[in-house]
Amino acid sequence: MSDLSVIEALRADFRARLATAGTDRDLKTLDDQFLSRRSGSVTALLKQIATVPAGERRQFGQLVNALKTEIEAALEERRAAVEAAHAPAGAMDVTLASREIPIGRIHPLMRVRQQVEDIFSHMGYEILEGPEVEDDYHNFEALNMPPDHPARDMQDTLYLGVPIVGGTWGAHGGTLPAAQVRAATLLRTHTSAMQIRYMKTFPPPIRIIVPGRVYRRDNLDLSHTPMFQQFEGLVVGHGVTLADLKGTFEAMLRQLFGDVKVRLRPSFFPYTEPSAEVDISCQSCAGSGCGTCKHTGWLEILGSGMVHPAVFEAVGYDPEQVTGFAFGMGMERVAMLKYGVDDIRLFYENDLRFLEQFPL
Amino acid sequence: MKVPLSWLRELVPVQESAEALARTMSVRGFAVEGIEYDVESSPHSTSNARAGVPETTGPDPVIDFEVTANRPDCMSMIGIAREVAVAYGLPLLPPGRPPAVPGLSTDDRGAGAGQALQSVFSDGSPQAGPATPLEIIIEDADLCPRYVGAVADVTIGSSPDWMQARLRAAGIRPISNIVDVTNYVLLEMGHPMHAFDLPKLAGAQIHVRTARPDEMLKTLDGQSRALSPEMLVIADAERAVAVAGVMGGADSEVTSSTKAIVLESAYFNPVSVRRTSKTLGLKTEASMRFERGADPALPVDAMRRAVALIELIGAGRGRGAVVDRYPKLIEPRMLRLRRSRIGALLGASVPDADVLRILGGLGFALQDADDGWEITVPTRRVDTVREVDLIEEVARHYGFDRLPVTFPALTSAPPPVDPTIVRARQLRAVLTAAGFSEAVTFGFMSEPAAIPFVSTGDLVPIANPLSENFAVLRPSVLPGLIDALAHNRRREQRDIRLFEIGARFTRSDGERRAVACAWTGMAAPEHWSGSGRLVDFFDIKSVVERVCEAVGVQVRTEPSSQAWLTPGQRADVLANEARVGVVGQLTTTLADSHGLPSSDSVYVAEIDLETLEQIAAGRVVRVTPLPRYPSVTRDISVVIENSVTAAEIRRTIQDIARALLVRISEFDRYQGKGIPEGRVSLSLHLTFRSSDRTLTDEEVQATMDLIIAALKDRHRAVQR
Repeated sequence: MSDLSVIEALRADFRARLATAGTDRDLKTLDDQFLSRRSGSVTALLKQIATVPAGERRQFGQLVNALKTEIEAALEERRAAVEAAHAPAGAMDVTLASREIPIGRIHPLMRVRQQVEDIFSHMGYEILEGPEVEDDYHNFEALNMPPDHPARDMQDTLYLGVPIVGGTWGAHGGTLPAAQVRAATLLRTHTSAMQIRYMKTFPPPIRIIVPGRVYRRDNLDLSHTPMFQQFEGLVVGHGVTLADLKGTFEAMLRQLFGDVKVRLRPSFFPYTEPSAEVDISCQSCAGSGCGTCKHTGWLEILGSGMVHPAVFEAVGYDPEQVTGFAFGMGMERVAMLKYGVDDIRLFYENDLRFLEQFPL
Repeated sequence: MKVPLSWLRELVPVQESAEALARTMSVRGFAVEGIEYDVESSPHSTSNARAGVPETTGPDPVIDFEVTANRPDCMSMIGIAREVAVAYGLPLLPPGRPPAVPGLSTDDRGAGAGQALQSVFSDGSPQAGPATPLEIIIEDADLCPRYVGAVADVTIGSSPDWMQARLRAAGIRPISNIVDVTNYVLLEMGHPMHAFDLPKLAGAQIHVRTARPDEMLKTLDGQSRALSPEMLVIADAERAVAVAGVMGGADSEVTSSTKAIVLESAYFNPVSVRRTSKTLGLKTEASMRFERGADPALPVDAMRRAVALIELIGAGRGRGAVVDRYPKLIEPRMLRLRRSRIGALLGASVPDADVLRILGGLGFALQDADDGWEITVPTRRVDTVREVDLIEEVARHYGFDRLPVTFPALTSAPPPVDPTIVRARQLRAVLTAAGFSEAVTFGFMSEPAAIPFVSTGDLVPIANPLSENFAVLRPSVLPGLIDALAHNRRREQRDIRLFEIGARFTRSDGERRAVACAWTGMAAPEHWSGSGRLVDFFDIKSVVERVCEAVGVQVRTEPSSQAWLTPGQRADVLANEARVGVVGQLTTTLADSHGLPSSDSVYVAEIDLETLEQIAAGRVVRVTPLPRYPSVTRDISVVIENSVTAAEIRRTIQDIARALLVRISEFDRYQGKGIPEGRVSLSLHLTFRSSDRTLTDEEVQATMDLIIAALKDRHRAVQR
């Protein structure tokens, strides 16, 4: 039946013309030539359908319609291509570099600090800062370290050549009790000094976190700096127990490090009794032992203990009535473990190539 | 404390591997620094080897236990063994049994000393003996409560291999049989001893006294030491021969030709030894034990052990009696332990049987009392002075891991967060958004680096700095920040913006909090669409304004005279009339002193947060209704003298226009063609608006006329 060969001829004709159509105008011409309602050759074929014998009419109709759809799709595709090739005025290469909006980074130690502050804040702790220069009474004596106490050797102290006035603390700086105003004579060796200031000002119950800088007479090396950052924590109330300390650390350390195991190891600090080092399971080796954890499967993360009765006595609390726990944690240690930093000095060089590795 | 496993097993029959032992003991309070393997001290058959301890082959593990400062009683093999025994429920065995020792004189001994306390020896009763050739005179019983001495005839040589191997494994160098025996006793029992060459003493007399003024002593390390009258010394009839509890003297040192010795086994006052050791800068195995607290009950046992070992290894024989002077008896402490208190502190009750097992095993004597126990504390336990110390012992060996996990009850409303912490977070947000990264730098610095920022007399020196680099407290946050900038600059960074929030210190103002920024390089980063722009004064000034705005304070700038900032590029930052900070470009001299290239322009600012917060105090945020009437903007251009500042022009305009003027900003500043020399053209947008009506052209024009007249009048300004 010759009519079907007409369809094929028409298709071949379209393909040949499409191949040379390079502009919108060419495509419009093609559209008119094949699909125009009045003069299009495909339209003309469709109009002939009544002349096709009834038996072939169905097949003929399908073939012509298929051709029509095919031409429409081909024209549309070519139009898009032509448009893409001839960008409109003002078009850009959108793959070019953007104009930089400089945004700085928060120091990794402060990232850690903010995270820990938030964890404890949600547990109902007051977060406050204390003075960095302190006197012997608040830094040592009231913390059960009288002069000549051997434990003073654990913290080699930097002393001031002249006494100065220490910084204010908390929201209470303006109303510091006269008894607490002493000329500062040393750089605090731990944030524990704030335990004394706080307890001498406020009655129990207490739950506070004191983040801040502390100083030791240490040389700078891979794992030591003469200044570092600490958190002090103190919880005092009626019936606070070592079991509470355990629960608090498990909750806190899991929020900070993810799914880790927590263990307490007996230790010694003059201002707590019993005292405990707190370890988390090593994440590098999942507790099986590796270089990071010195093949023990555990990483020491903080020092803690039940507040020593002598400390309560120094601040005028009755150790028969209240108990409490205290702890100190180094921010560098946390940041080193969390971010895989193996040289503590990186935190104090402030190299942008280091700082910029932390997300905005 | 390095503990060879073979030595430990002689004292407690523990079968565990070194690794398992390390794991167990580290959760009993003895962290393990490491395990080494020593080939030499491997078990061997010595006269001391004990039946029942399996002979192992291969290198002997040496476990390095960390002994906390409160536990001098564990600075010995027996001390560690006692802890292991309690941890594993094993018996503590006496060390290789010493043969009988010649008599012990009992004169001058405190009643019951050495008897009430558990001795590691089963046959520890004193014996009567022949008259002593040795005289001991304690002149200061407070500093030396007890001194035990004995004389022995000796032949100096090497100690046996087994003894040398054990000493070496534990970290002590073998010297000679006699010195090795004293060190062996030190390691085994934890009691420091000393041997004097008897013929080198002025007679068989030991005086325990404080040093005489200007007395000198050459110690064993060959150093001549100037002694002072608060130091305790051991002396013969004429001169000091040892610094008590610290180090012996070179003149009475045991040498290869020594034939007779005086052995010392004493108990010295811990504070006195500590002070002397610190003053002399001399730390020894002996001083470390005495200053933490030796056991006053141990000197006789230690002496007996030493004499027995000397005889055992064939180094000599004791001569005459052991002399024990104990003028100041130290009684064991009695403590009450209440059952209820254990639970109150630990959050779990511990069965009585465990309390008895643990405390009994550690050598505490328990007697039942109404609510718990009356407990006698062994004198070696200097750490146990209150009930809570006993509870720690119970908790330690009961196991922290067996305590329940609970959470402290919240019994009061959580207090507010410290405003300084809220402030720091706010500033971090503002400054990072302005492209600044946060630095953390040290609180101390070198004096030369600090001097430009404050008068020398206002610096706070550190009395005992580790180095010149940390000689003074920082009077400003800037020097450290500039160093950080220079550090980055040396590492291929050109565009650097850093800030720090922290304390600074001066004599006059004490400790104050500040925020500082430093900026060098591009203000607008380079981009393919056009070249970038280098930072200038007005970029850093904007940062200062934003920082102060974050605290809630409007600030203005006035020319400054800070010598470390470049003239014409420096300003004081003022809020009300208070100076809250400075801003400007570093002088090239200062930049150069921090190692910055001279081609760099470095802009810095520092703001005192405490002054700023004082000004902002009490500020409440209240909104004002949005304007209901349109505003009118007029431009004005005036030619003024160079010396007239924009601030002056603005003040005059505000003064005239009053409340109608809602906004004023400079949009052009021009010098050059068409403007006379020494003068400048300044153009400003002025926006007027009334809160209660639409302003008419006439009203605005009338105000503009007044402004122009005032500018002419006050600043000789000419309208362009």
